[in-house]
Amino acid sequence: MNSGRILAVARKDAAELIRNPGATLPALAMVAGSLFPAFLVTVGAPMIAGRTLEESGAFADEAARAVGMMPELTGLAGTALIQAFVFHQFALLLMLVPVVAATALATHAVIGEKQARALEPLLATPISTVELLVAKCSTPFVFALALTWLAGALYIGGILVVGEPGVWRTILSARAFIMFVVLAPLVELATLQVSVIVSSRASDPRSAQQLTSLLILPITVVFIAQLMGSFVLTPGWLLAGCAALALINAVLLAIGVRVFERETILTRWR
Amino acid sequence: MAADLLVADRLTRVFGDRVAVRDLSLSVAAGEIVALLGPNGAGKTTTMRMLAGLILPTAGSIAIDRVPITPETADRARASVGLLTEAPGLWERLTVRVNLLTYARLQGLHYPEQAVSRVLEQVDVADRANDQAGKLSKGLKQRVALARALIHHPPIVLLDEPTSGLDPASARHVRDLIDGLRADGCAVLVSTHNLAEAEELADRIAILKTELLALDTTAALRHDGEDIRVLIEFADGTSETRTVNALPDVPGIVRDLVTAGKQIVRVVPDRRSLEDVYLSLVGEDS
Repeated sequence: MNSGRILAVARKDAAELIRNPGATLPALAMVAGSLFPAFLVTVGAPMIAGRTLEESGAFADEAARAVGMMPELTGLAGTALIQAFVFHQFALLLMLVPVVAATALATHAVIGEKQARALEPLLATPISTVELLVAKCSTPFVFALALTWLAGALYIGGILVVGEPGVWRTILSARAFIMFVVLAPLVELATLQVSVIVSSRASDPRSAQQLTSLLILPITVVFIAQLMGSFVLTPGWLLAGCAALALINAVLLAIGVRVFERETILTRWR
Repeated sequence: MAADLLVADRLTRVFGDRVAVRDLSLSVAAGEIVALLGPNGAGKTTTMRMLAGLILPTAGSIAIDRVPITPETADRARASVGLLTEAPGLWERLTVRVNLLTYARLQGLHYPEQAVSRVLEQVDVADRANDQAGKLSKGLKQRVALARALIHHPPIVLLDEPTSGLDPASARHVRDLIDGLRADGCAVLVSTHNLAEAEELADRIAILKTELLALDTTAALRHDGEDIRVLIEFADGTSETRTVNALPDVPGIVRDLVTAGKQIVRVVPDRRSLEDVYLSLVGEDS
C-alpha cells in the first residue's frame, strides 16, 4: 500500500468536507443532540419541577441497585449518586455520534464522487482499490472520532460545571475508557464500511444515510434497557461488544473490498 | 517509423451475455493521433477503459509502452496513460490547483507544485488556478480535465469525447492542445462523434461498432474498394459523374466529350466524404 496516494485522497476529502455543510452539519447536530438529554434529566427537569432528583425519587431505586455493579458510584449518596448513575447511563448516547458522523461524512465522501463523476479519473491513476477504500474511510474516520472525543470532553466538562461535586470524576472510569478508546472507533469503522457499501448502490447521500441510520437501533435498544434499570453496561459487557464488533468489521471489510473492485465501481455502481 | 506505444490485440469484452467489444486489434504509435468513431453503444468507452487499464478484457491482450496489462501490472500501466473521461469529473468545491495537486500526488510526482504550474501553463488556465473548479465554464473545465490527464507526462493519451458540448472557440482550443500532443511524441487515441474533428486531427481513423469495421487514413478510407469518380461540369450548368479505373483515364474521357461538342468548365474528383464512408460502414440508422 502506498501511503502517499492514500494521503492525497484523504487530504482532498478533508478539504471537500470542510467546504460541505451538508455533510458536517448533521454530525455537529448529533454532538449537541447526544449531550442534551442527560443534562435535561439531571439539571433541567429538577429546576423546572422545583425538586431535586432525590426529592422526586426518580432513578433513586435504579441508582441504588447499580452501586453493586458500578464500583465507581461507591461513596456517593443522594442527588450526587442519582446524577452519577444517570450520567453514566446517558453516556451511551454519545456512541450515536460516531454512527451519525461517520454515516454523514462517508456517504458524502463516496456519493459526492459519484455525483461529480469523479471516480473514473480517480480510478485511472495508479491507486489500488484497497488504497482507495482506505483513503475514502480515513477522513470520515478521523473527523468522526474527533467529534466523538469532543462530545466526550464536553460531556465531562458539562458535568463538572453543573453536576454535584465529585460526580464528574466517576465518569473517568474504565468503562468510559473502553467506550471512547475502543468501542467508539470500532462502531465508527463498522458504520463507515456499511456506509461505503450502501453508498455504492445509492444515488444520493440522504437515501444512503437513511439506510445506514438503522445502525443507531442497537445502541438505542441497549440505552433504553439500561435506563430502565434492567441492565448495566459493565466493562465486561463493553469488551464483549467490542469483540463482536471486531468480527463484524472483518466481515464488512471483506464485502467492502469486493464492492470497491475497479470493475465493480465502473460498471455496477449507480 | 515510430514505435507503437499502445497495442491492442484481438480484444473482446463481454458484460453478462452482452458483447461490448469483439476481436478489436489496433495500435497507436508515438506521435500519432488515431480517432475512434462509432455510434452510441458501439463500445468506444469500453475500449477506452480497457486501454486505460481500468477494466480487463475478457479475451485478447493490451500492451502499454511494451508492457502487457495484467491484473498484476495494471496499476503500473495506468501511470503511462493519461485518460480524459467523457465528463470532466472535477471536485467542484476545490480550486483548480488543489484538483491538480491531488492528481500530481496520486501519480507520485516528486515536485507536484511545479508539475501543476507547468500543466496549467500548457492548457492556458494558469490565471484561473485559484478559482473554484465548480465556477469555471464548461470549456475551462474540459481544459482542466485535460491538464489532469497530462500532469504526469504520459506517453499515451486517451481522450473520450474531448470537445463534446463545447462552444466552437473552446473546441478549437482543445483541438489545438491535442494537436500539440502529436508534436510532443504522444500516442493519442481520441473517441469522438465529430467526423470533421476526426478528419482534421487524426492520422488514422478507426470505425467501431462492437467490431472494428475499418482502420486507415482518411484518404484510404474514402477510396477503399471504390473506383475513382470524377464530376464533370458543363457550360450549360449541367454535370455528370463518370467512374474511372485510374486517373490517367480522365484525359481520354474529357477528349471524347469535347469531340462530342460538350463545353467543359471543370473536372473535379468526386470524393466520398468521411460521413459517406462512416454511414456506409455502420449503417444509416446508426
